[in-house]
Amino acid sequence: MQDKMAVAKDMEISQASIAPKPEVAPKEGPKPAFEPQDIPKMLEILDQRMNRLLASSLAACVHCGLCTEACHYYASTKNPEFAPAYKADLLRKVYKKRYDWLGRIFPRWVGGRDLDVELAEKMYDLIFGACTVCRRCSFNCPMGVDYASIMSTARYMMAAMNRLPEGLKATIDVHLQTGNNMGITEEELIETIQWIEEELQAELEDPTFRIPLNEKGAKYFLTMNPREPKYYPLTIQAEAKILHAAKESYTISTKFWDATNYCLFTGDVANARKIAQWQAEDVERLGCEYLLAAECGHGYRSIRWEAANWLGRQPKFKVIGFQELLAQYIQEGRIKLDPSKNPHRVTYHDPCNAAKSGGILEEPRIVLRAAVEDFVELRHNRQYSYCCGGGGGALTMTEFAKRRLEAAKVKAEEIAETGAKIVATSCHNCVDQLAEINRHYKLGVEVKLLCELVADALVME
Amino acid sequence: MMEDGGLRFLMEEVQYMALSFMGLVYLAKVIWFLKKPTVRDKAHLKGDPAKGAVVSLANIFMPWAMESTRTHWYFYLEFALFHLAVALTILTTFLIPFGVMEPGDPFSKVVVVAMAVGFVVGVRRLLRRITKPEIRLISSPDDYFSLALLDIFFLSGIWALGTGERTAMWVFFILTTFFLVYVPFSKISHYITYPFARWYYGVNFGGRGVIARPSRAFR
Repeated sequence: MQDKMAVAKDMEISQASIAPKPEVAPKEGPKPAFEPQDIPKMLEILDQRMNRLLASSLAACVHCGLCTEACHYYASTKNPEFAPAYKADLLRKVYKKRYDWLGRIFPRWVGGRDLDVELAEKMYDLIFGACTVCRRCSFNCPMGVDYASIMSTARYMMAAMNRLPEGLKATIDVHLQTGNNMGITEEELIETIQWIEEELQAELEDPTFRIPLNEKGAKYFLTMNPREPKYYPLTIQAEAKILHAAKESYTISTKFWDATNYCLFTGDVANARKIAQWQAEDVERLGCEYLLAAECGHGYRSIRWEAANWLGRQPKFKVIGFQELLAQYIQEGRIKLDPSKNPHRVTYHDPCNAAKSGGILEEPRIVLRAAVEDFVELRHNRQYSYCCGGGGGALTMTEFAKRRLEAAKVKAEEIAETGAKIVATSCHNCVDQLAEINRHYKLGVEVKLLCELVADALVME
Repeated sequence: MMEDGGLRFLMEEVQYMALSFMGLVYLAKVIWFLKKPTVRDKAHLKGDPAKGAVVSLANIFMPWAMESTRTHWYFYLEFALFHLAVALTILTTFLIPFGVMEPGDPFSKVVVVAMAVGFVVGVRRLLRRITKPEIRLISSPDDYFSLALLDIFFLSGIWALGTGERTAMWVFFILTTFFLVYVPFSKISHYITYPFARWYYGVNFGGRGVIARPSRAFR
């Protein structure tokens, strides 16, 4: 536990550098290259996935190029192959050849092309390795092209052929085999929670303080990112302290407490549904009114927005993000904060999945204006925020790590521009990527989650 | 001009046939599209999908709404002038056969100016497509041809409306016929796919409270 504390107290240490090998090894690793026999199956998937959103997004692009500068890969490197329209065109070429009437007869005329091994390899390189599916391009597209639906389809066409980054596959395999993506056992979780409980009992000078586990009928079912019990227990401690201060009814399940769902990054709906089903059934088992999503960008988006689509039904509970609950507490006066406890300048990085795809845009600002003395916005913020580079499962893709850090240049420059000492965010993948950016670009900042800043500013009564 | 039976046949019967063909192809395209499954969030919504759709569709008139157009205002201005010129040129192809418009009319002079501006913008766009590596990389022959076609269309329109010459009228209306037949298969048909893409964008992001945001931060 001392090790965990040391890690937790130094948020600049990246999980990527300290994370152990998955405890459950995947049965079969991803294959190194596509084979010609993969192509018909990939095309079959494209046909199955063709819906109105995808069809209109593939058909509507006029190649105006206004999306180009929206991509952090392009903005940081000026490599024309990183232009979103070029990356989307890798699948659009196939669409043109297969669906476009003129493209079927004169494919070259409209930029159409048959899917072959060479094109599939290019897709792998650019759609896994140079796109975080952040959707910033969509918010800059005059035509309204939803790049995420294009990239997600392309990713699944590849993932279904077992051609996906090894780290991403390993993360998903561990989740499917153990119920959480780091293979944390129930005993380990309980031990960690009990330790946090003891820490808070001492801090609050309240020996009766409890972190409720598996409590039926609690209002909130608190989920966590596995990084929290594994490496960042201070995050759980901060969350528990805030919920205690608000006199909230909540519980942590020792079964399906993992907020993450990395299948979002492979477009694998069947397995995404399986994980969402586990989460939904566990919340319903405990009869909670809300699932309280951890500060985890893709986890929030998965359970808040995509789970109902994957499951084909609305769950019997509502979903709220921790950031949303914090804003609610502040607006309702349920917690008191002293911003002078956070005197340094703070800026906020909007996690793409929570903001652009999840609608959490104003809540973090409500929280930060109440919790810190000096809050400044990044030049690009809310839905126009540049991705930090850690989205789309990029942190698991070690083969693209160099490119990931190069693409973060634009974010690093914006952070430096603010003069902030602390970069707040609301996502563990962002925390880890921002910590790497911090080291790589020598920014000299500290990276914190919102709940940590709020916990620091809490006035306990 | 109207005494030329062949030209009259081109401007009326041939145009009607070309227009009908265009309509049929578009209808088939829309039917194909509507046969595909729709996508709509099943989760409890945070925002208003209908409001999102309206805002998304109105985006075309709001250059300040998107960073890409806000920071490239000249690009938006060019877009507006170019499309206005296209709309006026197409309108002309209806007004002349109906006898509502004649070369030399005050309105025709306005259209000639618009066509000239459209031509300049079209040439600039063509050069941009050729010279910028990131745009060249995503350009297909159809992208170049569509711009070139419109530029030639503008030129022929300027010639026809500016002079009223019979030959110019023939060229202009032959090009109009080709335009009507080719457009449904080219990128120029983006005005048919545009409302669909914008609609789904607005419904999805409006429902999630990303665009057309609810006034309260949380609901």
